[in-house]
Formats: sequence, C-alpha cells, structure tokens
Amino acid sequence: MSNEAILRIKDLKYTYSGGDHQALKGISLDVMPGERICIVGNNGAGKSTFFLNVNGVLHPDSGEIYFKGQKVEDNRASLNELRRGVGIVFQDADNQIIASTVMGEVSFGPINLGLDDDEVEKRVDEALTEMNLSEFKHRAPHYCSGGEKKRITIADIIAMHSEVIIFDEPTAALDPLNAKMLEEALTKLADQHKTLLISTHDMDFAYRWAQKLVVFSDGQIIATGTPVEVLTNEAVCEQANLRKPMLMRVYEDMVKHGIAPDDKAYPQDVAAFDHWLESIKAS
Amino acid sequence: MHYQYHVIYLLWLLPPLAVLIAGGIRKAWIHRHEEHHHHGFGHKHGEGTLSIDMYAYHSKIGSWNPKLKIGYGLLLLLICLISNDPYVSFGIIFYTFFVTVCLGELDADHYIGLLGIPLAFMIAGSIFILFNFSHTPFSNALVNIPTHWGYVIITPQTAKATVNLWCKAFGAISAMYMMSLSTMSNEIFGVLRDAHCPKLIIELMNMMYRFIFILMDTQHRMKNSAESRLGYTTFKRAIYSFGSTASNLFLVSMKRGTQFYDAMEARCYNGDLRFFEEKKPVTKQQLFWVIVPTAYFVLVWVMTFQGVNINV
Repeated sequence: MSNEAILRIKDLKYTYSGGDHQALKGISLDVMPGERICIVGNNGAGKSTFFLNVNGVLHPDSGEIYFKGQKVEDNRASLNELRRGVGIVFQDADNQIIASTVMGEVSFGPINLGLDDDEVEKRVDEALTEMNLSEFKHRAPHYCSGGEKKRITIADIIAMHSEVIIFDEPTAALDPLNAKMLEEALTKLADQHKTLLISTHDMDFAYRWAQKLVVFSDGQIIATGTPVEVLTNEAVCEQANLRKPMLMRVYEDMVKHGIAPDDKAYPQDVAAFDHWLESIKAS
Repeated sequence: MHYQYHVIYLLWLLPPLAVLIAGGIRKAWIHRHEEHHHHGFGHKHGEGTLSIDMYAYHSKIGSWNPKLKIGYGLLLLLICLISNDPYVSFGIIFYTFFVTVCLGELDADHYIGLLGIPLAFMIAGSIFILFNFSHTPFSNALVNIPTHWGYVIITPQTAKATVNLWCKAFGAISAMYMMSLSTMSNEIFGVLRDAHCPKLIIELMNMMYRFIFILMDTQHRMKNSAESRLGYTTFKRAIYSFGSTASNLFLVSMKRGTQFYDAMEARCYNGDLRFFEEKKPVTKQQLFWVIVPTAYFVLVWVMTFQGVNINV
C-alpha cells in the first residue's frame, strides 16, 4: 500500500442547477488505495451528490479532484479516465440496468472502454463468476430478484476493472440473506485491494466492516476517522443523528455498570465480542 | 373470370395449413401433461409492462440467428407485397403462425390477440375501398343497399380489392410479428448497426424504446399506488386520479430518465449504446425453415399468377 492517495478531493462545492441550495459546501477527502470507507449521514446530506461528482457525472462548481495524483480536467479523456477508475453501483438497480440480457448489461462498461470483443467476453465471464451469476448469463435482468439485480450491478462495475468502487446504499431493499451475500462480496473485493466507498444507514455494518468512517451533514464532512473514534464523539453523533451500533452500546453499558474493565477494546463484530468476553472472564 | 381456377388454386394453401396443424398437434402432444395456464405477461392490470420484449425473451426460436430472422421477415414482407397474391399471403399467414406459435411456442391465444390489434385499423381503412356510393343502383354490383340518400354499392372489383388488401396486410403483419415476437430489441438494433444504418437513428430508436418503457412502468407504479388508496372506486374519482397521474407522469419519468442517463455516463457512455451479444450461428435446421417455405411461396406465386393487378 503506497502512501499516495488514490483519490484526493479538495474543497469540492456543488449546487444543483436551478436551485440556490448548495448541496456540497466544500468537501475535502483523501482516499488511500485499498481502504474500506463507510460514508454515513442523513438523507439529503449530500452523499449521492458527492458520489456523482467524484465519478465525473456531475461537474463541481469549484474544487479539485485528483485521481492517482493526476488532476481531473473538464474534458472527455480526463473524465473518462476518472469514470473508468471510479465505478458507482447505484442505489436503485432498476435505474442502472439498461440491457436486456445479463451478459449485455455487464458488457456495457467494457465496450464503452473500447476493448476488443475477446477481452470484453473475458471480463464479462470473470465478473459474472465473481458474483455467482454465470448461470444467469442469458437471462433478462429485469426479471431477476432484487438481490440478483444488485449483484448484476456490482458485476457491471467489476467488469470495468475500476480501482475504486462506490456503493450508494447497497444494503437498502435487500433481505438479510442477500445483505449477507453482499457483505461477503464486499469483503472479497476488499481482499483484492479494491478501494471501496460505501454509503449506508446500517451502523452495525459500518462499525464491523469499515476501516474509516466519514460523516456527512448538510453538505459538509463533520468527522473522519476509525468507526470507534467517530462514534465515541457524542457531538458528532448528535449533529448527524447517528445511531450507535448495538455492540458498541452493549460494550459501553457493560463498562458503565462496572461489569467490564474500561479497556477501550471496542469489539466490532460478534466473534470479537465473544473473544473479548472470554478474555475479561479469564482476567 | 374463371372461378373454377380459384377452387383449384385453393389447394395451394393445403401444405402450409397441414404444416400448421401438424405443428399444433405436435405442440399439444408435447405439452399434454402440462396444465394450461396463462403466463404472467400480457395486458393484465397491475403488472410489468415489458410484454413485447417478454414474448421475444421466451420465444424458443430466440436462439436463431437474428440476421437470418430479420432478413427472413423482410423477405416474406416483400414477397407478400410484391406478389399481391392472396394465395401467397394466406400461405405466409399460416406459415408465420406455425413459426411463432409452434416453433416459437408462443401461446396461440396471445398470438391471436396480438393479431387482433391491427384489425381495427384495417376495418377503418377498408370501408372506403369496399363501398361505393351512387344515386342509381349498379347492374353488375354484388350488393345494392338502398338508403335515404342513395345507394351503397359493393362491386366485384371493390370486393376483390378489399380481399386482396386484407390478405396483403395480414400477410405483412404476420411476417413482421414473426420477426418481432422472436427477436429482442437489442438484437434488432445490432442488426441495423451491422447494416450500416446511421448511428444517430439507431441511438434515437434505442433511447425512445427505453423511454417508452420507463413511461409505462412509471405510469403502472403510480396507477397501482392510486388504486391501492381507493383512487379508482368511482368514475369521478377515477378521472381525478388519472389526471393527477398523468400530470405527474412526465415529471417522474424525466427524473428517472436522468438517473438512467447518469448511470450510463458513470460507465463511460459516450453516445454509442452497444452491448455484447451472444453469437448465434445459423444452423441447417434454421435454413430449412427459411429456404423451403420461401421456395414454396415463390412457386405458388408463379402458379397462381393472374397478370399484373394495378388496381391495388
């Protein structure tokens, strides 16, 4: 892992045309290669707008974006380079899927990159295998289930070999089984050193999964840090209306009532919590 | 006019009819154990609206080479129009029925229902060809209908012209249905692209095609939601709900269209909508179903040729 940020955003401002409300009021963020970042915040805090700016679909009023050290200019070649490197999995799969077969859908990105047919086919097969969709290859995506559609939209981006993948509320509208499969897929992507940016309202997920938590509130970033750092900051939680993850509350309550020592362990998933309980019982 | 020839000419229709019946019996035999049920697509209320694409998606001849299918559809259309021969037209109607329903395994009820859609246009269009109006009755007319203002007359010529027109139109529609009910839209666009159709036109077709579905889908969603809130219980309320839905429709569809466009742009869309398509090779079986009937229709055309008819 190098020390140079793969994505550096400097003082990004954006106003939707026809409105005077500034949706982004100066966002600065450094994203390191291979980082797992969760972005949290209210509806309307500017998360989706931020994503569309970072991907080059929306053009910021002011501010700069550097992708792999290169400043992104407002021209097609530069924007296409950014869009190739930064992929977005949209919140509503129905608004992303455009082709009438799964294979056609996943091929859309690679074809736009100007790759030859053999390479496109290779990447499509690869992405479908990765998302366990090989048997769906010739199906019509509009008639797949919600979870399958989500996986199709992820395969869309995997096939483009994007280094940074953005997920806009991926767990919304998924049942628990599909949410679990999604989490496994995300972990798999993280293991391949993809940089992942995920917006979510699921604090338990953010707490156990993210390396870094970024809190959006009213078009600004009000906190960045590890989940424990951010969530122990009461002022931030209050301003962004964050609900603390269940495990964190249980841990804090146990410490408060003197059942456990205040060792700042903050176990982040059930297995770690179990392990931690064993260790305090032993001591 | 030698009517006995026409009776003999009718025999030319037997082979296509026999193929159709044999295909129907075979299909019924294969599916004899399956309970007959209507599939979830079609024009039912409260359901998805991708029906035409859905027929093509479920078609058993969807795996045929799209160029072959589209070329063949156009060829039959041309034969039908140029020959201007009701025997050829009827042969094509029977044969395309066979291809779509027996080979493609589309539900016969659905197919007949779809064929009924252009019927209204054809009735409206042929009224003025079939009927003549005059103050005095015609001696050679088939029918003279006296009315208060004069006579409504059907002559053998107009009757023949109408029959010819109907046969031609139905033959042509059948040929186009055979193509569109078995070929997905993206394959049609792909073939047009290979045929060097201007990129702009294909792009526009594709965009419009997508947007129609977005509109229909949006309308469905809003209608369902209005219906679930008792918006259609009385006529007055239904009018009101329909009006509100319609006024919202454009706004909501625009928004969804923009989201689609954003998602496309995010994947480096640069004005060329292309998808990877499965390679579907032409097989001997496909060629058989194309070449043999075409040869037969040309034969029928030659054998029943009655001189150039310039009336219609």
